[in-house]
Amino acid sequence: MVSAATPRTGRRAATRRPSGRPRSAIRRRDALVGYLFIAPQLLGAVALVIAPLIAVLYLSLHDWNPLASTFTFIGLDNYTKMFSDPSFLDSLEASGYFSLGLVVLNVTLALALAVLLNQKLPGTTAFRTFFFSPVVVSLVAWSIVWSFLLQYDGGINGFLSAIGVQGPNWLRSGPTAMASVIVVQVFKNVGLNMILFLAALQGVPMELREAARIDGAREWRVFRSVTLPMISPTVLLVSVITVIGSLEVFAQIAVLTGGGPGNSTTVLVYYLYQRAFKYHQFGFASAIGVVLFLIVLVLTLAQFQTRKRWVHDEV
Amino acid sequence: MKSETRRRPRAIWPKVVLYALMAVMSVPFVFPTLWMILSSFKPQSELFRKPPALWPERWTVQPYIDAVTTQPFLQQYWNSVYIATLVTLGTMLFASMAGYAFARIRFPGANAMFLVVLVGMMIPSEVTIVPLFRAANALGLLDTHVPLIVIPMLGAPSVLATFIMRQFFLGLPTELEEAGRLDGLGRAGIFTRIALPLAKPALSAVAIITFLKSWNLYLEPLVFISTKTKFTLPVGLTQYQDAYGELQWNTQLAGTTMTVIPVLLVFLFAQKQFVQGLAQTGLKG
Amino acid sequence: MLKRLRSSTLSAAVAAALLLSLAGCGGQDTPPTSGEPVALRMTVWTGNENHLALFNSIADAYVAANGDQVSSITFETLPYDEYTQTLTTQIMGGNAPDLAWILEGSGPEFVDSGALVDLKPTLQAVEGYDLDDILGSALALWEKDGGVYAYPFSNSPFGILVNTTMLTAAGQPLPGELLASGQWTWDKLLEIATGAAQATGKAGFYVGGYESYLAWQYLAEAWDAWGAAPWSEDGSTCTFTDQAMVDFMTWYHDGVYEAGAITEAGVRADFYAGESALTTAQISKVAGLDGSFEWDMVPLPSGPAGLQPVIGQAGVGVLTQSDHSEVAADFLAFFTNPANSAKLAQYFPPPRQSVLTVEVLGAANPLLTTEQIEAVVIGQMSDAVTLPSHVKFAQVSDAAKIALDGLWTRGADVTQVMGNICTAIQPLLGS
Repeated sequence: MVSAATPRTGRRAATRRPSGRPRSAIRRRDALVGYLFIAPQLLGAVALVIAPLIAVLYLSLHDWNPLASTFTFIGLDNYTKMFSDPSFLDSLEASGYFSLGLVVLNVTLALALAVLLNQKLPGTTAFRTFFFSPVVVSLVAWSIVWSFLLQYDGGINGFLSAIGVQGPNWLRSGPTAMASVIVVQVFKNVGLNMILFLAALQGVPMELREAARIDGAREWRVFRSVTLPMISPTVLLVSVITVIGSLEVFAQIAVLTGGGPGNSTTVLVYYLYQRAFKYHQFGFASAIGVVLFLIVLVLTLAQFQTRKRWVHDEV
Repeated sequence: MKSETRRRPRAIWPKVVLYALMAVMSVPFVFPTLWMILSSFKPQSELFRKPPALWPERWTVQPYIDAVTTQPFLQQYWNSVYIATLVTLGTMLFASMAGYAFARIRFPGANAMFLVVLVGMMIPSEVTIVPLFRAANALGLLDTHVPLIVIPMLGAPSVLATFIMRQFFLGLPTELEEAGRLDGLGRAGIFTRIALPLAKPALSAVAIITFLKSWNLYLEPLVFISTKTKFTLPVGLTQYQDAYGELQWNTQLAGTTMTVIPVLLVFLFAQKQFVQGLAQTGLKG
Repeated sequence: MLKRLRSSTLSAAVAAALLLSLAGCGGQDTPPTSGEPVALRMTVWTGNENHLALFNSIADAYVAANGDQVSSITFETLPYDEYTQTLTTQIMGGNAPDLAWILEGSGPEFVDSGALVDLKPTLQAVEGYDLDDILGSALALWEKDGGVYAYPFSNSPFGILVNTTMLTAAGQPLPGELLASGQWTWDKLLEIATGAAQATGKAGFYVGGYESYLAWQYLAEAWDAWGAAPWSEDGSTCTFTDQAMVDFMTWYHDGVYEAGAITEAGVRADFYAGESALTTAQISKVAGLDGSFEWDMVPLPSGPAGLQPVIGQAGVGVLTQSDHSEVAADFLAFFTNPANSAKLAQYFPPPRQSVLTVEVLGAANPLLTTEQIEAVVIGQMSDAVTLPSHVKFAQVSDAAKIALDGLWTRGADVTQVMGNICTAIQPLLGS
């Protein structure tokens, strides 16, 4: 459950200090400090996130074309139109495909790289920098470079033909376009997740793994039954961040495929952007924004909900 | 005994395999950046030559000269640096305060408020940019750097920082703070004198993530800023055109290279602390 | 858990609603105060220092003469790729510029929606402006119900850029010769492009603007010579299925997949880097040629329906939402008067007959010969048509693009794909 840790901390404090005295005065003063501490962040969230979100909700009930200066209340029309628009359903599918592919690939690769780096071989620092470096490069520049490499007669197919393989038209044929966008995005950002995993792995006590090994467990078993459970909270965090990030993919699509071929890579945010800034249907685009927000909300809550089943508790 | 027989062959071969694996894996990470840097030393016409060559045939530093002289590049560089610095410092302060309160202090409504904050993590900026733009316009803040500082510092982009800080403080043993309390420190004192100094590693992680986010911010400066000398780098970099409005790719790549290298160097030197910082946060879900 | 979620969402909503009044609905404009000189702002997509220096010098002259009305004029560069998006965001946010460049494709939308001010009364009233000097063909896109909503400051005809070095090496005839002997046709172009591609292993021909296979409207540079059009003149009926269009698309498709003369989707064959023998381009593009090969520029060839010159346009208009639209319109009249048009002609081929001369254009484009300017620019301008446009251009062109993508495989059924396009766009056109 998404919760401030208060109850948990409380539980922990209670278990650790069975003789805890009631401290209501302190607690009241504490609460005041608590409010003060979260005030900037909370006000920021309300003014800069929640209020605009409600404005978007309000806009989604209107037909708004800023060029024509029209602004009429139309109730839920935008929503009915959206759900009967085949390209909306297509973009949902594209988003699902993209997010699933990205999360699976990103998390697996990040974990694999982290395990590799955690072998603590000499020279690992250099490789760590290599894997992390794309995180620093601007997204647009990264996408542009890859669009050069992935074009039909580009660097990658040039390499493939040198070893006797005719590469596909990566960004222009249905099956490979989305896969290419996913892979480019994975290389861009997997470094950050890798560092998060690496940090978590370094927090796993050596003794535990050694103990398991002495018990005769094979390397893979040790990883599965000792290491993985220990870092499962990080796996959760990384998955959540990656899922949310994956639904915001935009610039890479714009640079690499422009949403095509057909509309196979037109994900939800791209669809929203098109409606808003290209077609000037702002009310409609706001409705897409609301739906997008609800999807992210549900996904995030679902991920936190299932944590009990697979996340090793931190306490 | 048994385990030793299994371990001996590991000594050399696995190492070779591991190095080979890492080297091969490095290619897709390093090659594009390398291509970008080398291409920034090519004349425009060489950039599109077939078959594509990695190494410039005629080296030229003209793109670098153009990058600095045809746009107020240094001014834009300064804008990006100072905005990212302010955002980073502000985020470190507010996120650690909020993270600490959510992790440690019990107060009514904490869950609801945490949820409110968390919602920020889930909203793509395309969704809320229009209302924010209207608000900035109403407050007379268009074409100023205020929205570029305030929105990332307190709005959606800062939520991840709060989340990380909360996770860190959750993982911190309470004993030290209990001791502080027995010594007569109030909550604020415990935070500034005990918890915050311990949080250095987590703060360094937050700092890097926040800095990068602000450094690469594109949509907001594009929409909020209209004067060239007030642009930040990501928008400034899109403005390199020749006399006929054609985009000058090599100049753009030169500008991009100049924005990437310093950050990469900082990471190179700070990475040990960065990784350790994250390791100590534990980042437990 | 659900209960807690509901109550917390509710409290958040209440808190946010309070702030909404502040954040969402505050964008009211202050009424213009009369009497004081105002500051004008014009959005443009050029970031070029020479262009901006010219604009500023014209603006300075205007401010010097009209200091009582205008205190300053600034030119704001928006990135080309996000130009219309950023302009619209500004309009939406209640911060519209006073004047703005408008892209050709979104011309009808801006004109039709009422976002632009009718300039005709102002332009007619200004002495010496000579509205009749402006070519009717150039104004067509920006007129509605007898009003003029933007001035087409840039009118650049498309021609064919030729890499003569490559064609000579491939033993192919040169388009300049073919033109002189009256054999300059699209079929002939395809023939020499095929020959050049086979002999050199490089690309033969691509339609400039369509090399990325995204913006199909650039194909009109060629299909106008087939008499093909994407929709009827009034924009209400899809005509992709007409025989002329099917014929053109068959020709193009064969050129790609049978002859191997036209670049495929996903291939970047940069003419300016010497990677292609022929391409369509506007005259300004010759500035990108660095002398590494010999080149020529000739007009578009003729096709089954004869010869049809095509131009690319850009307009500048005054926005209705501007607080100072009258002053802005007056400045626009100054900005585009005959004297200043001649200055702008250095960079943007003008719509005015009086400055559409070899002397003016030649001085501005030293790389082109007198003959090339005569043939490509002046000879084509008066009969030229613009690229396709529509009131809902962005939406219609995206829908058509999605269906058209189906054509870019070997053995695709042209008639069927054209049918798909009409199925996709007719509902948008009809409504």
